[in-house]
Amino acid sequence: MSALLPRRSRRTALAAVGVGLGLAVTLAACSAPGAGGSGDTVAQKTITQKVTAAEVKKEGDISLSLWADVAEKPLMAKLVPAYEKAYPNVTVKITYKSFDDLIATVVNAANSANAPDVFEGNIGYSVDGALVKGKLVRPLDDVAKVYGWTTGTGSSTLGPARWNAAGTAFGSGTLYGMSPISEVQGIYYSKAKLAKLGLTPPTTIAELEKDLPIAEQAGEQPIAVGNSDQYAATHIFSDVAVTDQKPASIAAWIGGEKGATFETKGNEQAAATLHDWASKGYFGSGYDGLSNEDALAKFAKGTGVFFVGGSWNGAALNSDGFGFGSLVSGGVGATASPWHISSKTSHQDAAIAFLDMLHSPQTGQWILDGGRLPVITDGVTASDPLQEQTLDALKQTIAAGTQVGYYDWSTTDMLSKMGGALQEAMAGKITPADFTKTVQATWAKAHG
Amino acid sequence: MTSATPVATAAGTAPARRRRSAASRVSWSSLLYVAPALAFFVVFVVVPIVQSVRISFYDWDGITVATPAGFANYVAVFTDPDLREALGHALILLIFYAALPVLIGLLLAGLMSRIRIHGLTVFRAVLFLPQVLSSVVVAVAWREILADDGPLNTVLRAVGLGSLTHSWLGDFGTALPSIGGIGAWVEYGLCMVLFLAGISTIDRSLYEAARLDGAGAFREFTAITLPALRPQISIALILTITFALRNFDLIWNTTRGGPGTSTTVPSLYVYQDAFQNRELGQASALAVVLTIVILVVVGIVQLALRERRERRAS
Repeated sequence: MSALLPRRSRRTALAAVGVGLGLAVTLAACSAPGAGGSGDTVAQKTITQKVTAAEVKKEGDISLSLWADVAEKPLMAKLVPAYEKAYPNVTVKITYKSFDDLIATVVNAANSANAPDVFEGNIGYSVDGALVKGKLVRPLDDVAKVYGWTTGTGSSTLGPARWNAAGTAFGSGTLYGMSPISEVQGIYYSKAKLAKLGLTPPTTIAELEKDLPIAEQAGEQPIAVGNSDQYAATHIFSDVAVTDQKPASIAAWIGGEKGATFETKGNEQAAATLHDWASKGYFGSGYDGLSNEDALAKFAKGTGVFFVGGSWNGAALNSDGFGFGSLVSGGVGATASPWHISSKTSHQDAAIAFLDMLHSPQTGQWILDGGRLPVITDGVTASDPLQEQTLDALKQTIAAGTQVGYYDWSTTDMLSKMGGALQEAMAGKITPADFTKTVQATWAKAHG
Repeated sequence: MTSATPVATAAGTAPARRRRSAASRVSWSSLLYVAPALAFFVVFVVVPIVQSVRISFYDWDGITVATPAGFANYVAVFTDPDLREALGHALILLIFYAALPVLIGLLLAGLMSRIRIHGLTVFRAVLFLPQVLSSVVVAVAWREILADDGPLNTVLRAVGLGSLTHSWLGDFGTALPSIGGIGAWVEYGLCMVLFLAGISTIDRSLYEAARLDGAGAFREFTAITLPALRPQISIALILTITFALRNFDLIWNTTRGGPGTSTTVPSLYVYQDAFQNRELGQASALAVVLTIVILVVVGIVQLALRERRERRAS
């Protein structure tokens, strides 16, 4: 604190601040922020056939730098040694980041002079959109064609990584990334509690709705949910909302298609349903003060009959006690964060070879073994019943075309705006119509 | 942004003092001694601040070339109802983060300096502990304490006050005061230690004189301790007010601004605009306004508490 300094030092400090400000103002007088980015884009040649180990070898002893979500660590522990064995001249160097850190810093890293060669982004405008807009990632249409990604079970999952040239709309267009991991929403249930209540696993939202009062009257908390992070309830909402709406119309709205609207009867009805469930105590009390992670931990220990979540929750639940109910009406699903190749990489062949290995049945099996869902479902086998159920749900979802993605992809601020408004709607502070109006207003601000 | 604050207070307090001896010249050789620190200060503090100010006049996603936006970002700061609501929350939090800790600190320091307590050092250390803990740890711990089935509600039910139980962080009405309570818990230890140090410098003979004049404990406190602690109170207020107005981590790790928007604060929007929405111009404008608000509030506190101290000293 300057108040504690003797007068002399204070004067000096003042002079220092003056000099510093002068310097900084001089520095600031140059061109607009963002002009003349650092690090040059390397001309990437289009491939017409698969990259061979011999071609990679021609690059000499190289190191391939990667940025990945720390959640990928177990997968990378299996994949990287296999890759280094197949391409012995390449050493893989991975920087792990927590998911929050990754999405906050990866765009700037990709824009820096020493950008990683291969890295994970995130679907939506704030990360992938910025990467495409800044021309920081290599288009992958040629790679997808050569390696057959566009055919087979995984092909539809590439959608969210396709962008228009301006980076302003996604869902179709040029392919810029690839995710080997899929996700599907659904209902986890406690086998013991269902048996005690004499219920069978629900396969539709309507069946679930019938089970809820039975559980409530038996003194059980029907649904375990923790919504302090403001996203858990939006997943439940989307499961309800998709039941009587066309998946394509939801996907169009998420993709920012002109004229799309959130103010539909189905969405209003879904918000009303959630308010109804909340006021009847089906979510227990205090769900807005509980984190989703804590709610899941409590569910695993025996609080709640159902947990409405998704395949990413499965690793925390054991197969003996819990089952996964797929929704025949079509559970909402999506792909996880896509992997990108930097447009600045000078190791294009090694990078493509890495993506190829990520998109293989062997990696798919590793992903499933790690408790997550692979994009490639052909040729992978589940090792326990819960995995099996989740994998089935994914296949059904892909078949039903309800891999519509998540609402929060639609704008950069949708997660907090929609999450907050849904909390208000569930508490009855605003009407379902106000909720859909607020969400649509947020959407319209970004998409016109 | 957070890096702005240390300078904010330093720069805010310096101009508040009258420049007395215009004759005394800057000693250039002494500047040489501060040069290394000055270089760091300029590169890591001054330049980022100036850049923030500059970026605030642009529309920028952090990657592509920015387009000049004039004062649009500032207009948005003052017209967005969400931001006005957030500013209101921040002002309410001032009571919890600044006023309450100073009062509690005064009370504890007053008690501790009067009563001989065995193991005083231990008490002092324990009461100061919240200040030392990482704010994420504090947030996670309090989330647990304030949970629906957490210790606080369990205690309330045990003593027959079950009707008072809440999901403290989950209810629209109690979330903001609950976060305020956490902030007060974090800050009062710092205030207490500052005041204890201040009290230890007070001449004991003053108390003796007061006692001879027949002053009681309360009178002693108001007539001697409180006026003598003026500089410490000023420092405590500056630190706690700064903490209150730029608070982000406690809220982010407990409620993320929810339920609804009931616990949003300006710094929450700074983070969201900068790192989630990639609207760096908007985030910078908000950060600049927030810095100015902090400077003004801290300046007022300094001015109010300075006057009489100087009169007493002379």
